[in-house]
Amino acid sequence: MSSSPLLSPPRLAPPPRPELTRVRECLISGTAAGLARHLGARVWMVRMLFLALTLLGGTGLLLYLWCWVFTPWEPGEAAPSRRAPVAWVMLIAAMVLDLLVLPELSDYRFAMSPPWAYEPNGGSTVLGITILLMLVALLVSAALWADLVDRHDAARGPRHAAVVRIIAIGLILWLLVAMLVQPINRVYLLVPFAGLLAMFSSSLIHRWRELSGERVRRIREEQRSEMAAHLHDSVLQTLALIQNRAGASSEAARLARAQERELRAWLYDGDAPADSDLATDLRDYAGALELDYPVRIEVVSAGLSTERASGELAAAAREAMLNAARHAGGEISVYIEGAATGVDVFIRDRGAGFDLDAVPGDRLGVRQSIIGRMRRTGGSARVRSDEGGTEVHLQIVGVQTRTAEDA
Amino acid sequence: MSDSIRVVIVDDHSIFRSGLRADLDGSVDVVGEAADVPSAVAVIRETAPDVVLLDVHLPGGPGGEATGGEAVIRGSAPTTTRFLALSVSDAAEDVVRVIRAGARGYITKGSSGIEVSHAVHAVAEGDAVFSPRLAGFVLDAFGAVAGETATVDDELDRLSAREQEVMRLIARGYAYKEVASELFISIKTVETHVSAVLRKLQLSSRHELTVWASERRLL
Repeated sequence: MSSSPLLSPPRLAPPPRPELTRVRECLISGTAAGLARHLGARVWMVRMLFLALTLLGGTGLLLYLWCWVFTPWEPGEAAPSRRAPVAWVMLIAAMVLDLLVLPELSDYRFAMSPPWAYEPNGGSTVLGITILLMLVALLVSAALWADLVDRHDAARGPRHAAVVRIIAIGLILWLLVAMLVQPINRVYLLVPFAGLLAMFSSSLIHRWRELSGERVRRIREEQRSEMAAHLHDSVLQTLALIQNRAGASSEAARLARAQERELRAWLYDGDAPADSDLATDLRDYAGALELDYPVRIEVVSAGLSTERASGELAAAAREAMLNAARHAGGEISVYIEGAATGVDVFIRDRGAGFDLDAVPGDRLGVRQSIIGRMRRTGGSARVRSDEGGTEVHLQIVGVQTRTAEDA
Repeated sequence: MSDSIRVVIVDDHSIFRSGLRADLDGSVDVVGEAADVPSAVAVIRETAPDVVLLDVHLPGGPGGEATGGEAVIRGSAPTTTRFLALSVSDAAEDVVRVIRAGARGYITKGSSGIEVSHAVHAVAEGDAVFSPRLAGFVLDAFGAVAGETATVDDELDRLSAREQEVMRLIARGYAYKEVASELFISIKTVETHVSAVLRKLQLSSRHELTVWASERRLL
């Protein structure tokens, strides 16, 4: 045995760093918070670092943007929520700039000459263009930010986006009008005009997203129905074949039937609401019974019943179906009729039948779970049994129901 | 075998055709098979069978839709041949279309060979074959559940009280014989009622039925 493990005590593995991801509850983009979490530093320190670097010729800004672009959101479903009103900050900055620029507009030299013309004291031309570009850029980014980013933010939403956009468009139009009345070179009008177009581009992006989403949905729908048609033609047919070749109550037929039912449910009831009414519930229960007992249960329903699956009637019907499956087997028919005046459920099997009076009193099945239960809810249950089979008739009168006619 | 029933099986799945052929009992004589609408029409014209077992979904129908069952019935129109619809789907609207086109009944493909043979015999003798599910649909579609009852027997858009009783018992899983003893009538009378319902199903212009029938959906 080597002694080296004793010499070098096992190093504690450093706790794993949190993944470099952007925080969803963030100030602006979650970049600084995410970076701070990853590095184990304070958030304000990271922010100060970015700001300090920005003062060094804008490096910090570039670094920030770079981190922003390449850092994914942390996993989750929630739409990111930003604390800083970025759109408003940009809008207010633009407004201040606007107020500064407009009174001075005619003073700038750029007003008279094209930008490429040589100006001996051209400092103010360049300044003028820069301010104009910044102003328009701020307005456009405010509008785009509001429309593309803030719209999905639960704290802000579409109304906020609309207000920001209207103000931004108003400001840019104001600028445009102000420039029109000044004797300036018309080339500069292109700048606010381009800004205006850029603002509306976000609407185009929305349209485009909707359109492509719609297309994806349609393609999916088409594929689904193509697949359904194919499965219908091949798999369902084969399952039907297995059932009639294997004999109704054989293991193979039961499995095939269960598979057929599942496939059918997947194919056709995919978008039906999971709201369970009596017929659906009994159908599901029949499916479960078919797996456990050698029976084939056909559930037929007429009329639309609003009778709930959780009701006593459903419980009694299930008990009767279970009895039929357990004692009779073979073919079992269940018929549900929901009318305005009440609901009837018939459960019929073709077993040897039994004598209700001969069933010992301590057997709770029929007497308590079916007859007693129905009586307690104000309904009735009749059991008729002879050598040709047994039929249980459950009836509830006066339930509020809806028939096909009213639907 | 002069009294055996001559049958043509129309289904686009050869496995299913051969399976069914092997399953049918001795009193049924399969004289032909077809896999799509044109060949089915040709085979029926050539062999003039008593009964055609007809898949509801068939390729080669007009318009390329998989609803060729009706097209076969329409294509071989002036004929004494009777049609029995076969379907894997329990969806009533699928079946009602074919019945309104002229089929005498409907049976699911999961049925055993004996059941199919019985149904073939019934159809060959001019009776209608109603599954419990179809009976349930008929009760629903004719408003029987909502309490609508025909006052005259030949009213097309509603069922008479007796027809409703018969349909209810069929929906409850009773065979014709059991229906007859339950209602204290003869089997022949039951068959008459069922045929009357079938006729109404084919001819009625009830809104629900026409909606089902006109919804030519693929599935």
